[in-house]
Amino acid sequence: MREHHLSRAAYRLFVRAYPREFRERFAPDLEADFLEMRRTRGAAYAWRRALGDLFYALPLTTSDATAERGRTARIRGPITPPGEPFMRSLLLDLRHGFRALVKAPAFTLVTILTLALGIGANSAIFTLVNATLVRPLGFQDPERLMLVYEAIPGSGRDRFGVSPADYVDLVQYQQSVSNLGAYRTTTVELSGGGEPEQIDAAVITASLFNVLGVKAAEGRTFFAEEDQGQASVAIISHSLAMRRFAGRAAVGSTVAIDRQPFTVVGVMPAGFEFPRRGASSNATPADVWMPLVFTPSERQGRGANYNLSVIGRLREGTPPAQAAAELSALASRIRDNYPADLPLKVNIGAMPLREELLGDVRRPLLILSGAVALVLLVTCANVANLILSRSLARQRDIGVRAALGAGRLRLFQVLLGEALILAAFGGALGLVLGYLGLRAIPAVLTTSLPGVSTISLDWRVLAFTSVIALGSAALFALVPLYAGLRRDLHDLLREGSTRATGGRRQHRVQGTLVVTSVAFAFILLVCAGLFVRSFRNLVTVASGVGTNNVLSAQVRLPLAGYTDPTRTRSFYRTLEERLRALPGVRAASIASDLPLEPDGDRRAWTAENPTGPGMKQAVAVTWIQGDFFGSYGIPLITGRHFSDDEQRENRNVAIVSKRLAEAYWPGENGLGKRLKWGLKAASPAPWLTVIGVAGDVVDGPPGSEPVIHVYVPYASATNALLTSPIVDLGRRMVIGIRGDQDAVTFTPAVRGIVAELDPALALSDVQTIAQLERDRSAPQRFSAVAISGFGLGALLLAAVGLYGVLALSVSQRRREIAVRLALGAPPSGVLRLTVREGMTLVTIGLAVGAIGAASATRLLRATLFETSVYDPLTFAIVPVVLFSVALAASYVPARRAAAVDPIVALRE
Amino acid sequence: MSPVPLTPAVFHILLALTDGPLHGYAIMQAVEASSGTPMGPGTIYGTLERLEASGFVKELPAARSDRRRTFALQPAGRAALQDEARRLSRLATLVRAKRLVPRES
Repeated sequence: MREHHLSRAAYRLFVRAYPREFRERFAPDLEADFLEMRRTRGAAYAWRRALGDLFYALPLTTSDATAERGRTARIRGPITPPGEPFMRSLLLDLRHGFRALVKAPAFTLVTILTLALGIGANSAIFTLVNATLVRPLGFQDPERLMLVYEAIPGSGRDRFGVSPADYVDLVQYQQSVSNLGAYRTTTVELSGGGEPEQIDAAVITASLFNVLGVKAAEGRTFFAEEDQGQASVAIISHSLAMRRFAGRAAVGSTVAIDRQPFTVVGVMPAGFEFPRRGASSNATPADVWMPLVFTPSERQGRGANYNLSVIGRLREGTPPAQAAAELSALASRIRDNYPADLPLKVNIGAMPLREELLGDVRRPLLILSGAVALVLLVTCANVANLILSRSLARQRDIGVRAALGAGRLRLFQVLLGEALILAAFGGALGLVLGYLGLRAIPAVLTTSLPGVSTISLDWRVLAFTSVIALGSAALFALVPLYAGLRRDLHDLLREGSTRATGGRRQHRVQGTLVVTSVAFAFILLVCAGLFVRSFRNLVTVASGVGTNNVLSAQVRLPLAGYTDPTRTRSFYRTLEERLRALPGVRAASIASDLPLEPDGDRRAWTAENPTGPGMKQAVAVTWIQGDFFGSYGIPLITGRHFSDDEQRENRNVAIVSKRLAEAYWPGENGLGKRLKWGLKAASPAPWLTVIGVAGDVVDGPPGSEPVIHVYVPYASATNALLTSPIVDLGRRMVIGIRGDQDAVTFTPAVRGIVAELDPALALSDVQTIAQLERDRSAPQRFSAVAISGFGLGALLLAAVGLYGVLALSVSQRRREIAVRLALGAPPSGVLRLTVREGMTLVTIGLAVGAIGAASATRLLRATLFETSVYDPLTFAIVPVVLFSVALAASYVPARRAAAVDPIVALRE
Repeated sequence: MSPVPLTPAVFHILLALTDGPLHGYAIMQAVEASSGTPMGPGTIYGTLERLEASGFVKELPAARSDRRRTFALQPAGRAALQDEARRLSRLATLVRAKRLVPRES
């Protein structure tokens, strides 16, 4: 609704482009028509029409008839003198300004570089913000899309996906949304016609793309019946079509997905990204989409497989909160369908999809935007300072023009010419700098931010940059005008140009600008310091995993080739044996998930006779084969590793994490205790005996609390798990190798061994754990580096500003200094005088900055990791650094002052 | 004196008003239907204002329920439209005679 008001206000503004007389008569009609058109044809169309219309209509509306009426209604004076139209005089001023700037190359260069720095930093960050937060999601009417989820109070997680059985109920019961779609991500093996590869895939309900309102670029999306039976159809991404089909027609051809033939029925448009990154689960963009077909057991199974992401499209006019309330009211009906022995308190919730996708990245990006806005302010203060210094040289010029009768507007125009040139060059260079800056952003970051993988220069960024540049141009033109017109015309004309001094007022203005720069630089440096401290705290937190010389890679056995669980087990056993036998390998293992990544299986479980308070959360389960703890450097605190016998066949043993043992059996070592899957001790699952306790591993974002963990031998994975068509948990395993030397060198050998066992398999996610650790903290590293960069840039600018003001002051006071020296003042006294002038400004700036920083840093609290917003070290170091730099910046002009030769200076 | 050809905008607007008085948005829809290309409200009102000055159309006093301006075709407008229609039909005959379009069977 607010958007509508905005749009109406914008149109009213737009109507002002028409001549007044026309407007007075027709504005209500124009507005009514516009609103009507927007309602029926959409806002984008209405605006396009309105703009095109203005082009044709303007000549019509300024017709003689209108003009005649206008003249009788009201008499207006000409804006520019006759014979000198605005545009022509502006061109003249531009030429004039250009000549003047070429004559002052140092001023021109410093100003343009300063502007470029501010505008560059701003356009880079704004591009990020634009790509992530501003640009539409790529779905039709995304504000009507809601993420529907399930929640189980006391489960330790805010929300789960929806289970297939509950989804089927939800589709049947709900009335708040016009349509529901569900999906889940997976990886698949793509083979036939070229090297086999593992690609990211999503299985989706046939309704999903309709819900999102997206269409295929070629071919079609799924028909409604295609998620009912076993229709072997697939939709592929534009990039996959380019890679695999290279210009040939993709639609209608057959590809082998997990060794089963699938017919390609559609190709999505280039740039279409789904699932979007940033969601809390199922967040990997897919290259292939296949119909989501529920197995009968999935349709019946309650209390399991909470893994579907569900998206609903609100009916027009339904507020999100109302839909969320209606959906959550359905939870009781769904709970009734759960078997009596499974009393799970499932709730249904819904939130705007945009919220889900952007909730986590919004704050860091807004902080970056704030920081970069401060840089822009420092830039503006500095450029204003530069222009003020320069305006001294132009004051006579302005004075003469004013004396000859030039109006303020005309004078403004003259100054605008020069300012426009500076702004144009500064803006263009800034845009280039901004793009170079964006290139420097590590790929791991851009692929983790939603929408950023397709960063591009779009009109919003250009508009943003132009507005900044033009705004500053107008400001620069106003400053000298203000300074010039304030001065007594008579004085101005009488003074010799070389002796022109700025007067006390200008001095005060320039001093204020220096104080402002110093204060902002102080705030930025404090923020930078806090971010760096927070980042250091974050990366020094032990993740529980050793990072030296560890290589990991993923292997996934497609069900089509591995329907026999014995074959799967023997494949991995052989793989692990051969990896272990590689020369230089110290430890090798196969595991169902990688430590450090939160993608393992979570299970409900029960501890036998717990003596502690427990954790009330699902436990992470990892099936392991081989020396898992040795390969990832996870310490075994008590007990022992699985024996060869236990690795060969299921003996119902388990190793638990330290945190689990301490929470359930505090004060004991945990060995010999028992646990089982399921929420009740009476469940039919067998008891598993704890034979060892391993160190905790941070199985999620860096700095998060370790999850409680249970490790079981791969041999205990059930046949049902290994042959499940729904999850590939037991067939998708991660290789871990710790070697004597750099782990990357094992890559070819690992590939060789896998190819020997099954030539059609593809290895994916080959990476070292050290790399994985670096990537995990990349966003925080980026924030720390970017804000430090901004802080240093602001420091540099503040120093340049201070230097400029002092240098100017020294050059203006040469005669005064000469007189002092001639009367016997020691050069060191003159030196001290100038340095004191600079330090006074800096001290005021520091004081103002400290107050600003104390309030600004409070906004950072939520993003800092174990760092106080009043971190004493940061608040101690930053003033010292600023003060030292400022001292150095004042020393140079002070030296020049002390070196004034009284004889030369007094004779000038 | 042979009539001056009407501009497409004028022609389509007058044509739209032959069935009775209309307000701007309705004229816009009718023009889009008859000419095949969209025409914006500014163009419509600008043209209407000119037509009004020439006495081709007249604004009707506003009904209380609707604050939109309604315009009605005047005899002069109807005459101009008829002249233009005759001219176009002559042109159509000429075009057919030169066999530029296939004869309708």
